[in-house]
Amino acid sequence: MVDKVVELPVTIEIPVGPQHPALHEPVLLKAYVDGETVVKVEVNTGYNHRGIEKLCEQNTFYKDIFIIGRVCGICNTVHTDVYVRALEQILGLEPNRRAKYLRVVAMELERIHSHMLINAVMAEVVGFDTLFMSIMLDREKVMKAKEILTGARVMADYMMVGGVRRDLSDADAGRIAKLVEQVRERLTYYKRVFEEDTTITKRLIGVGVLKRVDAVRHTLLGPVARGSGVRIDARVSDRYDAYDELQPEVVVRGEGDSWARMMVRWDEALVSAEIVLSALSKLPRDGSPVPDERKLPRKFPPGEAYTRVEAPRGELTYYVMSDGKANPYRVKIRTPSFTNIVNSAFLYEGYTIADLPVILASLDPCISCMERAVITDLRTGERRTVPFTQLSRGDKAWRGRGFYLL
Amino acid sequence: MARPRLLPAVVRSLLGRPSTVQYPYVKTEVEAAYRGRHYADLKKCTGCSLCAIECPADAIAMTQIPAHLEAPKSNPRRVYPKIDYGRCVFCYRCVTVCPFDAYVTTNFYGMAGPRENTSEQLSLGTLERVV
Repeated sequence: MVDKVVELPVTIEIPVGPQHPALHEPVLLKAYVDGETVVKVEVNTGYNHRGIEKLCEQNTFYKDIFIIGRVCGICNTVHTDVYVRALEQILGLEPNRRAKYLRVVAMELERIHSHMLINAVMAEVVGFDTLFMSIMLDREKVMKAKEILTGARVMADYMMVGGVRRDLSDADAGRIAKLVEQVRERLTYYKRVFEEDTTITKRLIGVGVLKRVDAVRHTLLGPVARGSGVRIDARVSDRYDAYDELQPEVVVRGEGDSWARMMVRWDEALVSAEIVLSALSKLPRDGSPVPDERKLPRKFPPGEAYTRVEAPRGELTYYVMSDGKANPYRVKIRTPSFTNIVNSAFLYEGYTIADLPVILASLDPCISCMERAVITDLRTGERRTVPFTQLSRGDKAWRGRGFYLL
Repeated sequence: MARPRLLPAVVRSLLGRPSTVQYPYVKTEVEAAYRGRHYADLKKCTGCSLCAIECPADAIAMTQIPAHLEAPKSNPRRVYPKIDYGRCVFCYRCVTVCPFDAYVTTNFYGMAGPRENTSEQLSLGTLERVV
């Protein structure tokens, strides 16, 4: 007679990523789950390594401006701005006030559309596709404003050593202001939706709680840290470009959960809209902001520069070193996404599989959905990859093969 | 608690026209200053190759002007920049570094296609045939 049954737990390792249509960046999250609860997450990166830093060493300083814009499509103006400011430090150049204001306008427009995008993706992740469509439709207005300003919806290629690459006429400034005012109205509405809608609040509040001490200990940046009460903003601490006059209000929330991070983004988008409007209303007229690219210095003196900028995802830093030759000796990029994703594996523990994409999206690389499961049989150590459709056929199909889904 | 009303927006979207632009059939409205297809006006171009040197995407190849076309005297080497639009990233670096302002810019963007797409026809079209 059998009087004792020993149940062996089957550990399921669920890879989230590295490829999915909804992903911004290919990242693999290996989640180890006990039933529904996530017990451990390993973050694997390196799927999108393109060797851009090395590529920069092989191209001239000016070509690098356009290469660096392609590090990330969503935040291309902040990337080029921080690199161009590093070059200006090496050269000892200073753009005029109008150029600095226009740079701020471009970067803040980008912040608005980046925050709208991740909030839309969050709505999609929690299964609220109507809201996703609605936000993305309104985001097109910001893209249009960016097109008026820079000449392209996404790839701005707007920054140049000594200024920006195209001036803004008063008529176009008025059009951008009109578009931003429309968007600001919608942002207020969406903020209210995120505050009051049951679907959103049920899925986001209390999920992925990040304590202030952990945010500091794991060097998390940007809205992730600000959602946990850390007052960190390079725009305020560095006052680069025109931020000495256009001081942004630092949005900080104390809750520390996924919802707080998304709300920080909505509030920041509203603050950005204010900055854009005030920058457009008092655009200085101290000459042309567009440098003649044919007369810019061809030779860079030996030297180094370390600059930082507040990207939509957090603090972005560049280190550029020149040894007096045609190409930079070293370009070191540290992006906020990398710190936020690699250092935040502890954030998922204790939450369910369904919360995993929510927490990930709240960190802003938005990797969602799982594609297939790897089943590890603890008795034999055998690992098999099983398509999810097959798994969904139920427990019966597995019993005969010695696997138990607990 | 007062809920924001998404339903009216949903109904409006259902009854109204779709927001999606049916791209190949309907043209997307772009700005006049949109960075679209650009090509060199060979009446101004001197064949100095600066654009080809400066191109970050390496999309410009200096090519010989065919013998049946009349090249200006300022272009003694008879070369012109042929832009490969498949490689081009439309940063307009060539436009801004050109010492003779030889580039013609347009806001044309419909360049996707299976065939090789270069600025050859557009650039050579600015020259006249040798009589």
